[in-house]
Amino acid sequence: MSALFSPKSDALLKLVLGLLAGGAVATIGSLLLYQRTPYGVSQAEQIIQPVMFDHRHHVQDDLIDCRYCHTSVEKAASAGIPSTEACLACHAQVWNKSPLLDQVRASWFTGKAIPWTRVHKLPDFVYFNHAIHVNKGIGCADCHGRVDQMASIEQAQPLSMGWCLDCHNDPAPRLRPLDQITNMKWQPPANQAEVGPKLAKQYDVHARVSCTTCHR
Amino acid sequence: MPSLGLPIFGQSPVTPQPAQRWRSLAERDGTVDPAAGNYPDGEQPAPEGFSRRSFLQVLGASTALAGLSACKAPREQVVSYVKRPAGVTPSVASYYASAVSRGGYGVGVVVESHEGRPTKMEGNPAHPASLGGAGLHELGSILDLYDPNRLSGIRHHGQPVAWSAWLGELQVLAGTLAKDGGARLRVLAEPTSSPTQADLRARLLARFPRARVDSWGPVADDAGREGTRIAFGRPLDAEHRLVGADVILSLDADFLATEGDHLRHARDFASRRGQPTGMNRLYVAEGSFTVTGGAADHRLRMRASEVLGFGRAVAAALAANHGLARLAPLGAPLTGERSRQATAVAADLARVRGRGLVLAGRRQPAALHALASALNEALGNAGATVVYREPVLLDAASGPDRLATLAAEVKAGLVDTLVITAWNPVYTAPGDLDLAALLAKVPNVIYLASRHDETAQVAGVVVAAAHPLESWGDLRGRDGSASIVQPLLSPLVECVTELDLLAAFVDQGHLGAWRLVREAWKVRAGGASAGGTDVSDAGFDRAWSEWLSTGLVATPGAAPVKAALDGGRVATALQAVPPARPGLEAMFAPDDKLLDGRYADNAWLQELPHPVSKLTWDNAASLSPATAARLGVKTGSQVTLTLRGKSVTAAVLVQPGHADEAVTLPLGYGRAVAGPAGAGVGFNAYALRAAAAPWIDGGLELKATGKQHELAQTQEHFSMEGRSIALSYDAAKLGEAVHQLEELRGPQESLLPLVDYGKEEYRWGMAIDLSKCIGCGACTLACQAENNIPVVGKEQVLNSREMHWLRVDRYYEDVHAAGGKVTGEVETVSQPLACVHCELAPCEYVCPVNATVHSDEGLNEMVYNRCVGTRYCSNNCAYKVRRFNYLDYHQVVSPQLKMLQNPDVTVRSTGVMEKCSYCVHRIEHARIDARVGGQKIGGDAVVSACQQACPAEAIVFGNLNDQGSKVARMQQGERRYDLLHELGTRPRTAYLARLKNPNPELA
Repeated sequence: MSALFSPKSDALLKLVLGLLAGGAVATIGSLLLYQRTPYGVSQAEQIIQPVMFDHRHHVQDDLIDCRYCHTSVEKAASAGIPSTEACLACHAQVWNKSPLLDQVRASWFTGKAIPWTRVHKLPDFVYFNHAIHVNKGIGCADCHGRVDQMASIEQAQPLSMGWCLDCHNDPAPRLRPLDQITNMKWQPPANQAEVGPKLAKQYDVHARVSCTTCHR
Repeated sequence: MPSLGLPIFGQSPVTPQPAQRWRSLAERDGTVDPAAGNYPDGEQPAPEGFSRRSFLQVLGASTALAGLSACKAPREQVVSYVKRPAGVTPSVASYYASAVSRGGYGVGVVVESHEGRPTKMEGNPAHPASLGGAGLHELGSILDLYDPNRLSGIRHHGQPVAWSAWLGELQVLAGTLAKDGGARLRVLAEPTSSPTQADLRARLLARFPRARVDSWGPVADDAGREGTRIAFGRPLDAEHRLVGADVILSLDADFLATEGDHLRHARDFASRRGQPTGMNRLYVAEGSFTVTGGAADHRLRMRASEVLGFGRAVAAALAANHGLARLAPLGAPLTGERSRQATAVAADLARVRGRGLVLAGRRQPAALHALASALNEALGNAGATVVYREPVLLDAASGPDRLATLAAEVKAGLVDTLVITAWNPVYTAPGDLDLAALLAKVPNVIYLASRHDETAQVAGVVVAAAHPLESWGDLRGRDGSASIVQPLLSPLVECVTELDLLAAFVDQGHLGAWRLVREAWKVRAGGASAGGTDVSDAGFDRAWSEWLSTGLVATPGAAPVKAALDGGRVATALQAVPPARPGLEAMFAPDDKLLDGRYADNAWLQELPHPVSKLTWDNAASLSPATAARLGVKTGSQVTLTLRGKSVTAAVLVQPGHADEAVTLPLGYGRAVAGPAGAGVGFNAYALRAAAAPWIDGGLELKATGKQHELAQTQEHFSMEGRSIALSYDAAKLGEAVHQLEELRGPQESLLPLVDYGKEEYRWGMAIDLSKCIGCGACTLACQAENNIPVVGKEQVLNSREMHWLRVDRYYEDVHAAGGKVTGEVETVSQPLACVHCELAPCEYVCPVNATVHSDEGLNEMVYNRCVGTRYCSNNCAYKVRRFNYLDYHQVVSPQLKMLQNPDVTVRSTGVMEKCSYCVHRIEHARIDARVGGQKIGGDAVVSACQQACPAEAIVFGNLNDQGSKVARMQQGERRYDLLHELGTRPRTAYLARLKNPNPELA
């Protein structure tokens, strides 16, 4: 009677075990990797909005400051999505017959909100506050990118916890004077290594890293 | 994500209307019989249940979606305002002042609102009845706003009718009724002090001079006003000023929790507790164990029917020993131990003439209230610790007498139209009136109610009532100060206010409550213009917005009145009190949580442990251990209670400290028709109540059925294994105890590395003064509302799975006589306990995933998204303050209830541990506000939710590194001790030992 298991079967068993173990490692590893890819964090995704609002035009051509529409950014957690009324403050006068603005006018006359698609989404257990960031020298473009060059808003940064902590652990290199907060074109000066810590002191920057700073 | 269809503040409400199309009259009327003729001949009805086809559909869909599940969730929508409402900034809470009615009197509240969603009700610090504290009902009633079982619209014999159409019908009805001066019209209203309603009633009675408006309050304070009528010749409201009272004698008055301006009383009472000198002394003579009894220095345990005799014995002692001869006709001495007690109390009261106070409870006969007035008058307390005012309630009496009169009229067929705005009289009426059967005789019963209940079942027309947060109105406090009730949001359902309904009878139903209230106040301001209120439109607008923003109308309240006491009438009334009926005594009592039953559908209040018995989701017939032993019943025994021929089945709760040979029957439970939270919970004590003896009755029969009823009491949960935790000392002996307290605080050696938090800018901590704590449980409820804490239900409470982050432990203590013998009396100490934020926290060492860690400022943080639910932390917690989400309690709540949740606090899901966070979201808010302005957080600037609600100011939170902060000063006091100090956990919450101020003569 021949042996129940041939010598080959030993190798086969090793292969199967190896594949199982390797597969588990690979699965977990690739999931972790996936979460670190721009795709995994929804970065640089083209998003179609119900109204083709173009930040390039409003910021570059019209030189409108961010705070003109995002009114509560300096005093509240939410920067504020402009109301239909805010759009029509200008567009009742200019481009008031443009078909591109049909939906805005429809919103005004029906009283129904424009269903924008959210681009910058933090998980529900994260409590981000705009006011404290813009009042301590973090510019809009630091997190939102060059909005002035975006036809349609996309997520410029990963918005992952590691990315948040990079800055919270060492905010000085990114700090800018408070009058430059909304400046899209601001670049750190050559001597940022000297200016940064000075600004941190001047603005009393204490970037906190305790869990409850953001998770409550 | 699809829209949840929730109403958004500022946007025109898009209430989904039921389709207006119908295929047959039966469909329109909703009377389609599904069994008959829906299928043509030969056709088989579709198979019921899960068909093969839908199985394949689901299988196919789930297979297809399985491949997609690795992908990301769809992007959610973000919705902006069309027109941003003034004053609303998304993500910033707004606060509005309003008032809510408690027994008809206004209590000022401040309501927190997030983007138009009210999320929390707090006390208004400017309002005299609240002073910033909040009670169970203020905190809990916000849940009722979002109750998915609220009624909507008007139902005429079950058919929905539009308000405008119904107004037309009502106009015709009113016209008919007016023909004979409204002789067949009756209104049964909720007791109220609303000036606008007073105007409306006057107009109503002008149109229908022969109609009558009665009010009905099943637990109203009628006896007090009747007592002043006996004593002074006219009904008056007594205002008790506890700040100035050195000695307080409560004759069955639960003035700290359920009676009078209890929030203010608790604040004033507690302000005189804690310091070894200048403490007040409280004697409570009572039968049931109440919150006030628990706070007493001497609790004199006696049946409710014996309290009158005790009061008279005090009067007799004052007359005999202290030269107050005019009290002699009122007095009647007792013998034995009671006489000794009465003599000691009398001596104490006589010692502090003008600085003492005698209060009588609402369930005591009016004669005792008159006696209390006489005692206060004789002792010189009147004008000092008690002042009298003209009653602000529109009806001085709203007790069973009025209801009995109405019932007699209905029986005689004299009533055609009965408008009921009082809460659920069919349920709350004394059992012997049998109102349900009587109402069937009235052709038109119009009932204003927020939920389907016993009365709605028999009423022809049921009109959905607006919640106070959806209503315009006005109320007065006991001192006459008026507040405007303002709505926080447009009604969530189709509903009207009491004012709207009454206005409809004078053809003003279309005006709306806002105009009614505003116009009425405009007239009133014009009338009072001598005082200087500018009544030009702009001037009135300014005044009006001022009133709305402060929560108080800036017109002077009623001045105290001077009234001459007639001792002879009091003596006559005392003599006329019938002797107590023999046999086991039934003592009815409003429930601490459900009051008269109107909060039965409120799951927060149902699950809140009762302040004394720690009972949840039930009421029970309480009796003393001795009586229970005599009757052979135990806690949980089911018994049949029979009184005056009526019977109910109830569970027994053996309550230490309860009077012997008496049974406390809490009202408000045993609802037959109620929502899912209220139906079938407890037993209905109203069924036993007789109109002639609504509070105290004799001859109760109690028979055990032999069955058991499981009572969900939390008092044994998370127990501290017999260690002495809540410390209480006699004030005079504090000197001896100091050395024991010193051992319970201060640094402990530790093998673990220590962090010096003294160097940090902020070191958050809490101090809880057990001398001030009365154990009412408002902190627990405030925490629940603030921190999105779920309700778990009775079954889970029985499993010890309640989720309250903050519990109030109640410890009983035997009273020892001089020789060390146990006297059978008990005292209680209440101790609120939440996470104490140990600096060396045992929970942190055992967490395998670092889900509970320390912040740089020393907070013990719970990181929900790291927690994997091992529950090691909870096992290792010395204080048993961690709560685990065994089930997904938030998944089951309706979308409407989700509007209630505080957006600043994470909603936790299954498998996650949670616990007190020291209201860290409030700390972070304060930090951001301060730092944006370039400032530091003030030492007392952060107020935790429990601290904010506490009517007694027992809880103080703040920065321990700020030596000037209140909490730092309290923690440095001589009464400070740390809980389980021997473990070396270095808790941030420190306790201040309770001080009692007993009378040495009674020791």
